[in-house]
This record gives sequence, structure tokens and C-alpha cells, in this order.
Amino acid sequence: MCGDGAQPPPSSKFNLGVNSLNTANPIIPKGRSGKGKLYKYWYPYFYLLPAAVVVITIIGYPVVRAVVTSLFHDNPLNPKMTFVGFSNYVSVLEDHVFHVAVLNSLIWIFGIVLFQFGLGMIGALLLNEKFRGRGVVRGLVLIPWATPSVLAAMMWIWILDANHGVVNDLLTRMGLSFLSQPWFSQPHTALPALMLIDIWQGVPFFAVMILAALQTIPEDLVEASFLDGATAWNTFWQVKFPIILPTVLITTLLRIVWTASYMDLILVITQGGPGYATLTVPAYAYYMAYSDLNFGGATATAVLQGLALLGVVLVYLKILTKQGILEK
Amino acid sequence: MIQRLVNSFRRKSRVTRIMVMLAVTAVLLGSVVGCGQTAQQAANSSQKSSGGSVQTITYWYWLDDPSHNTTQELIDKFNSEHPNIHVVGKMIPFNNYQQTLINAVSSGDAPDAARFKDWWVGQFEANNLLEPLDSYIRHWKYQPDMIPAMWDTGKINENSAVYMMPQAYIDFYLYYRKDLFAKANLQPPTTFAEFEKDAQVLTNAQNKQYGFAMRGGSGGQDQWYAFMLAGGAQMVDANGNVVINSDKAVQVNQWYIDLFKNDHVAPPSAVTDSYAQLLAGFENGTYAMMAHHIGSYAILSKQLGDKLGVIPIPQADPSHPATMGTMSGNVIFSSSKVKQAAWTFESWLASPEALNILDRSTNAQLPVLNSVAEEPYFQDNPGWKVAIQEESYAKVWPPLKGVGDVAGHVWQQTFDRALLGQMSSKQMLDQIATTLKEK
Repeated sequence: MCGDGAQPPPSSKFNLGVNSLNTANPIIPKGRSGKGKLYKYWYPYFYLLPAAVVVITIIGYPVVRAVVTSLFHDNPLNPKMTFVGFSNYVSVLEDHVFHVAVLNSLIWIFGIVLFQFGLGMIGALLLNEKFRGRGVVRGLVLIPWATPSVLAAMMWIWILDANHGVVNDLLTRMGLSFLSQPWFSQPHTALPALMLIDIWQGVPFFAVMILAALQTIPEDLVEASFLDGATAWNTFWQVKFPIILPTVLITTLLRIVWTASYMDLILVITQGGPGYATLTVPAYAYYMAYSDLNFGGATATAVLQGLALLGVVLVYLKILTKQGILEK
Repeated sequence: MIQRLVNSFRRKSRVTRIMVMLAVTAVLLGSVVGCGQTAQQAANSSQKSSGGSVQTITYWYWLDDPSHNTTQELIDKFNSEHPNIHVVGKMIPFNNYQQTLINAVSSGDAPDAARFKDWWVGQFEANNLLEPLDSYIRHWKYQPDMIPAMWDTGKINENSAVYMMPQAYIDFYLYYRKDLFAKANLQPPTTFAEFEKDAQVLTNAQNKQYGFAMRGGSGGQDQWYAFMLAGGAQMVDANGNVVINSDKAVQVNQWYIDLFKNDHVAPPSAVTDSYAQLLAGFENGTYAMMAHHIGSYAILSKQLGDKLGVIPIPQADPSHPATMGTMSGNVIFSSSKVKQAAWTFESWLASPEALNILDRSTNAQLPVLNSVAEEPYFQDNPGWKVAIQEESYAKVWPPLKGVGDVAGHVWQQTFDRALLGQMSSKQMLDQIATTLKEK
């Protein structure tokens, strides 16, 4: 407690001197116990203040505003807002289209992240090998990630076009015309087709992140593993993977959050169709806001998604912490 | 970072936990909310001046052909001819246009004037956001020259004020490939029955050849509405009641759906095809017929030359013809401090001088003044001639508040599902009617 350790000079309120570094609470001012307790209570806030101001003003306010808006009937063209309590939430949760959107979102998020992780891992392992032109290849693989979403969407619209697309054309030339599909126009192929595009775009991000982690592994550690008789497979799982695991985890977490909110491809290519086949939760909220002019319902949807993702993130962190994975 | 985060949790510091929760919440929610904020900030570039010798007005617009900024040319010309008014134009892609306007209006940063669709007049007028233009129009020198029906496109009902100044009108007609018709020894259709029969003859799915370029994707509601009107259906009756789910409308809608479902004269991709797919397919001969407006004429006539034919939309009953028309006009926002200057600009945009520039460009649409429409350039050209003839019986979307929602999303969702057999013609039209009535 604050009564322990050496006394600071009477003239100094905050002792940051060398001597104080050896104390249990180095920067806690001493003196009368009541005042000391007050300082002890408040001092962390001083250090958090700059970051808190930035978060609260730039991001916190819109979040609070969204939560407040979700409790009102809010037509953006009409400044008059009517308080409706949680009825926006009830309406959204009772809407069968929202249920479809939730299911689509789950398929969208987990399908995309799973494939991006798997392919990204393979890509990173390949790029970590020594081969001629490796630098150029490492640069080129970033192209999908660097391609603007709308541009990627326009490109893939034509690649997968039913009548003039290169994919269907190649299938036909290979004698596989029975596999030729109107990819974006059928409920069972539209969402996978969009997911394919997003996977294509996101694999480089995973690959580069994992590659960066792989490059931090000391060579002698890997060599020692081989000298001890480990196979390449064992070396990967027993030596490399534990080291890159924290990077894999944070990258996966980020991709889950980003993918959940990402709807550019959907808006440009299918607008949630055919029917509701590609309508995800953010797209559902978007059309509610800008087509139905129901900002209250749209923000309620956004808050629900935010809470769901927050839950996922917290559970994820708790499990990992419990298992001590993140401590490695 | 994660390690620090988790360690912070472990230490159970209340402050840290609060901050972490705040930061994580912000990350999760920030993307959705932040997008809206960004759009609002982007829209917040309005410059206004209510005093001084030069009045600055902000004007937002979209371009049908963004590769040629005809509107900026018009703005530059206006500015050079009007030293006391300076128009600052801002081009916004059509796909984001309504959203950007909504964000701007909701944050109190609407422009002074803007290009506008008749679809949105009901939505915005209901919230008193648009300036009535009647008092200005009364003193406008070209007022008698305006094609009378054009004024109705900017009204809420027959007796309401005019809220949108007519500028660029389109109506839907049928493009057809003369070469494909000649090869099949067919005459261009004038009736629904002939249209269906021709489309069937011109379809060979194995060779990816289809009679009709149906548009089920983005923007397809105009094409659909043109055929609904041509079939004898109505959106609202003479008393303004929504009748789009009447028996007649259900029957016409079923006929249109069956072109895809039963006749297979449109490709499987029609469910989500939008303008780009239709245009490409028509140009390369995949499609024999395509319903669109004068906006495609310049590019198609250049690409296809003598192979291109233009005819009115076929009719179920040719004695009572109808097709869909839609107006892109200009509005003044009631929040503007420079309404008179905005009117001067908007009325100039509808003058013969400006219309002759716009309507001869790649952003061409139909002239709204009789004197311009009667010029040889428009009368002697088949593309223009058919469109101008159709003006006499074309009908616009009714100025109901729900039209914006139907055109924005509801039509596409319901039509897709009807094409896929997930809902009936009646269910589709009931949902559209409900949207129109609820708003």
C-alpha cells in the first residue's frame, strides 16, 4: 500500500526518480494517507486520458449515437425522432429475412476465414522457401489484396459471367460444359461465388502476416529440430507453429471482424440477391437504412451484429487465455 | 498486442478493462457507424454564400456516361455567361447518389440544388425538403414551350406544386437486331403475342442465343414497369389507389415472369443481369431484343450500324398503348439560402441552349421542350423519333413515398424470387403494393 517504501522529497508530488523504481509503487505519492489513496486511484486515468479522448471522440461517439438511434424511429429525411424503446430490436429479431441474413453471414464469415487461413498458410510456407525470383513473387501475391473492392468486383463479374465469362468458356472448351453455370444468378452458387472472390482477395493478407511470423523463427532452432531427427511435418507442428500461433490468432480475429462487416462485393455484384441468397447482416442493415429509410432498425441491426461479434471476440480471448496459448 | 490485452484482463484493472471493452466495441461497431459518418463528412462540402456580388451555389449530379462530363461543360458555360452566380458542381456516381443525398440532408448539409429522379420526389417532399417551383416557373420565358406532361413528373399529385424542374426525360422502347430477325425471316413485333413468338424463334439456348435480354438485376424495375404498363397493368388508379396487385396486373406480371420460367427466351443469368450484361449481350448478338431508352442509342448505333432497329414497346392491346417514362430533373432544397440563383441555374439547364448541348452528347436524353424536340436532329433520327412518339403515352412512376424503396430494393428482391419460383406473381405484387401503401 502507499505507506510502504521510501518517502519522496516533500517538494515532489510525483516521484519518478531512480530510488522510487525500487519501491513497490514507485510513482504513488506519499504523505497523508487519504490524499495518497486519491492519487493512487486516479493516477492510471491520467495516462489513459490521451488514448481515451481519441477513442471517445472519434469512435466512441458514433457508437453511442448508433445505440441511441436504435431506440428511436428515425427517418433520416425527417429530423423528428420518436422514442420506441426496444421495438426496433424486436422487429429485426422477428423478421424472417434477418434470420436468413444471419445464416448467410455465418456461412460467409466462417467459410471465407477458414479458406483464407488454409490457403494463406500454404502460401506463406511456399513463400518462405528459397527459390529464384522469390522477391518478385512476394510482391505479386499482394495484388489481390491491393486491388480495390469495386474493381475486383467488376473484374470477377466478367470472369464469372454466365454467357461471356472466361470460366464458363474454359469449362466448355475442356468438355465440361455441364459445369458451366450462371454463377451469380442461382441461390446455391451465388454466395459461394462471392466467397470465392473474397477468399481470393484475402489470402495474401494471411500469407504475408504468417510469412512475417515465419521469418522471426531462428534458423538454428529449425536446424536443431532436424538434427534431433524430427521430420519436416514434426518440425512445423512442434517448432514453427507454436511460434507463429499468436500471429495466426490475431490475424484470424481481425479477419473475422472485417469479413463480418464487409459487403462491398455484395452491393456491387448481387445486391443481396438472387432473392435473399447473398443478403448478409450488414447488407440487410444497409438496405434498411437507405432503401427503407429506417435508420432506427438499421442501427439496431448493426448493434446486434456488434454485440454478437464482441461476444465471439471475448469468448475467443477467454478460451485462449485459459489455455495459456497467448502467453507463449 | 493480444498478449497485453489479455494480461490486462488478468490483472483485473477496472480502468484497463473499461478501455479494452470500449476499444473492442469501437472496432466492431465502428465500421458500420463509421461508414455513415464518413459519407456524411464527404457530403459536407457544401459551400454557401448568401451575400456579396457573386452568389455561389452547390449543385450535385450524376452522369449516365461518366466518361464524358457533359454537366461540367454546362456548368462552365453557365458560369461564364452569369458573372454574378458561381455554380460549384459535384459529380456523384448514381449508385451512391441517393445515399449521399440522404446523408447530406440528415446532417443538415444538403446542396442548394441537385439532379433528381422522379422516384424520390415523394420521399423528399413528404419531409418538406424541396422548394415548390411554381412561383418561379410562372415567370420563366420557356414555360409555354415545355411539353405539358413533363410538369406532372415533378408533382406529388395533380393539384400539387411542381417540385422538380424537368430536364432529361426517357421512355422505354425496344431495340432489336435487324440481322437476326432477317435471318429468322421475322418481322419486328408490335404485340405481346408477336413478341413472345419472335423471342421463342430467336432463342437457341444450346448456342447461348436468346430472344430477349431480360433484366432481373440492378435497375431492372424500369424495364419491368414498361412491360407491365404495355400489358395494361397500372401502379395506381385514377383516384391514386395502389392497384399494382390487381388481377390484371398479376396476369401481366405472370406473362412477364413466364418469358423466363416457361418460355426460356431469356438466359438463366437474367435473374441478376444488369445493364452491362444486357448491353454486351445485345452488341455481340447473344440477345435479339433489348428494352431500354435513348441513352443506349448512340453507342449501339455506332457499334451495330444498320443491324440496329428501334421500335415502340410491343403492346398487349395496341389500341391503348403505354410504356414507362422517367424524368431526371432538378430540384432546389428548401434549406438553400440562394434559391433565386439556384433557380436561375436550373431554369437555364432546361433552356433550348443547354438542352441542345445535353441531348446531343453521350449523356443524351429526350428534350423536354417542344421547340427542341421538333428540330430535325431529333425528328429525322429513328432512335429519337420513336422515343418522342412514345412521350404521348408514356407513364412515370407514381409519386408515392414508397417508390424509392420499391425501386431501390424491394422490386429486385421480389422479382428474383418470383423468377426462381420462390414466390408467386400475386405474392410479389402484394409485397410491392404493401411497400407502396405503408410509406
